[in-house]
Amino acid sequence: MIRFILRRALAAVPIGVLVTLGVFALVFAMPGDPLRELAGDKPIPAAVLAAKRAQYHLDDPFIVQYLLSMKDILTGHFGTTFAGADIADQLRLRIPVTLKLTLLANAVQWTLGLFFGIYAGFKRNGWVDRSLLLATLVLLAVPGLVAYFAAQYLFGVELKWFPVSGVLEGFPRSYLLPALVIGVLGFAGLARLLRTSIVETVNADFVKTARAKGLGEQRVLWRHILPNALLPVVTFIGLDLAGMFGGAIITESIFNLPGLGQFMFQAIKLKEGGVVVLLSTLAFISFILINLLIDLLYGVLDPRVRNV
Amino acid sequence: MTATGEVLLKVDNLSVEFDTPHGPVRAVDGVSWQVRAGEMLAILGESGSGKSVSTQALTGILEMPPGRIVSGTAEYRGADLIQMTTRERRRIVGDRITMVFQDSLSALNPVQSVGTQIAECYRVHRGMSKRDAMKKAAEMLDQVRIPAAAKRVGDYPHEFSGGMRQRVMLAMALALDPDVLIADEPTTALDVTVQAQILELIADLQAERDMGVVLITHDLGVVSDVADNVVVMYAGHVVERAATAEALENPVHPYTEGLLGSMPSADLKGRELPTIPGTPPSLRAIPSGCAFRTRCPIAVDDCAAEVPPLLTIAPGREAACIRRTSLAAKEAV
Repeated sequence: MIRFILRRALAAVPIGVLVTLGVFALVFAMPGDPLRELAGDKPIPAAVLAAKRAQYHLDDPFIVQYLLSMKDILTGHFGTTFAGADIADQLRLRIPVTLKLTLLANAVQWTLGLFFGIYAGFKRNGWVDRSLLLATLVLLAVPGLVAYFAAQYLFGVELKWFPVSGVLEGFPRSYLLPALVIGVLGFAGLARLLRTSIVETVNADFVKTARAKGLGEQRVLWRHILPNALLPVVTFIGLDLAGMFGGAIITESIFNLPGLGQFMFQAIKLKEGGVVVLLSTLAFISFILINLLIDLLYGVLDPRVRNV
Repeated sequence: MTATGEVLLKVDNLSVEFDTPHGPVRAVDGVSWQVRAGEMLAILGESGSGKSVSTQALTGILEMPPGRIVSGTAEYRGADLIQMTTRERRRIVGDRITMVFQDSLSALNPVQSVGTQIAECYRVHRGMSKRDAMKKAAEMLDQVRIPAAAKRVGDYPHEFSGGMRQRVMLAMALALDPDVLIADEPTTALDVTVQAQILELIADLQAERDMGVVLITHDLGVVSDVADNVVVMYAGHVVERAATAEALENPVHPYTEGLLGSMPSADLKGRELPTIPGTPPSLRAIPSGCAFRTRCPIAVDDCAAEVPPLLTIAPGREAACIRRTSLAAKEAV
């Protein structure tokens, strides 16, 4: 177990180097000068510009810039943004925002996904099952961007059920609308996967054995079918959780939630390589951690993959 | 040897149909058999002959729909399993009548330890505590001769070999001391030496408990080793019923004869193994009259006229062949 975790952590190091290097190179390759963009139309004195460029190592070769950024990240000296904000402070403020949004959205998604997936799987071809298949097909086809703006307009501007954007009304009110939209859009895949998985498991031989043992239908469902049907779903949930940060870049920007996604969006716009790499590293570490957790959970649920 | 124990399970005129997109298909047609305490009855037939479907239908584990019991009764000590409510049947199936299946790897729940799966029988049917049930499960593993049983109760199915897994299946099926064990091709997935061990184990455990065993198989070798009586099925019909020794030495139905003829034996050394020509009919296109007539070496025009009835040739000896039963009748005269 400990060895398994250590092995995973070690394997993550080279991947981490590649990911951060790649991300940094992408930001470096973007056109435009970050400091000029920051200044807008106003002219900047050449001396100020040179000082700023030196402060952010903008004239150094690419690899030196990368190594300096990584050194800052690893030693915990995050520094300031081009605009002068302390990055460590920013992280302290923004991480909770993203966590709240992600967890709330996932809670919605899992609750809906597990509930409808199990119900439809157990009552195949019932009306819930049929309407679920149809509804999920529609939901899977709706692009997130369209749904976010539509929900913002309908429930925020017109019906005034939720704040349109921002976090002024705090948790959970300000987070409800984006979380609901993400959750409702996301549950379709989960529900369909679980339903299919249950339908496949129902025909397994061991289910026949369970029936031949004279077990009640409920016991067969919860003790024999579901634990086996959940296995592919766990993998799906892991991948989905890991993809949440990518989604947060868009949702936080649209709903004006000051989280990491919005921070990332601004940093990319301003070509702030250091911040982008820092946030990518954070995302990468959380990705590794989530994957590790999923693997451990998988081992608990399925003895066949234990210690692999 | 003819067992004289009490009739435990008596199947009478059982017919099962499946609904398919091409219309209903009759997989089991008017099948009757019975098993007594202490008797081992073999149901012999090729795949698709309806041998498994009949037992799955009467124990209620057949998927219905698409399956459907058209007619017939299956009486356990006089109570008809087919007419019973599911709740009533669950008290018998899994407790008094239990089953063992062919592929023990897929027939055991992969994410539960074997101990938990055996213990579940005690927990559900006897209401035992988890601890007691696990203790009994370990005892059962020991009874089916799994080495170091107490240490292995917590192991998972994939950690056992094929033969050991089949022993686990047996332990689970015999946990509650059933009256009837239905073993559906219990040795098919095993290699020959392990097959012999499992059959011997079933025979030993049967002798200890005086239970009735229904052994479903396509393997004549298995039948000749352990079965007291044999029921031969072809395309959903019983075509011959006899004591095992009789059927093996003196088969009446040409299908049984063909099966026996295609058994490898020392006499046939160096010669090509005879086979039954053709393939079993699709259940959607069973020939009129006798289903076997298209592959039968002695078929005549009359065979197409009607389904041959199962006629008694001698006490405990029945066959469904108009050619042979009339011959036998003539000889008897």
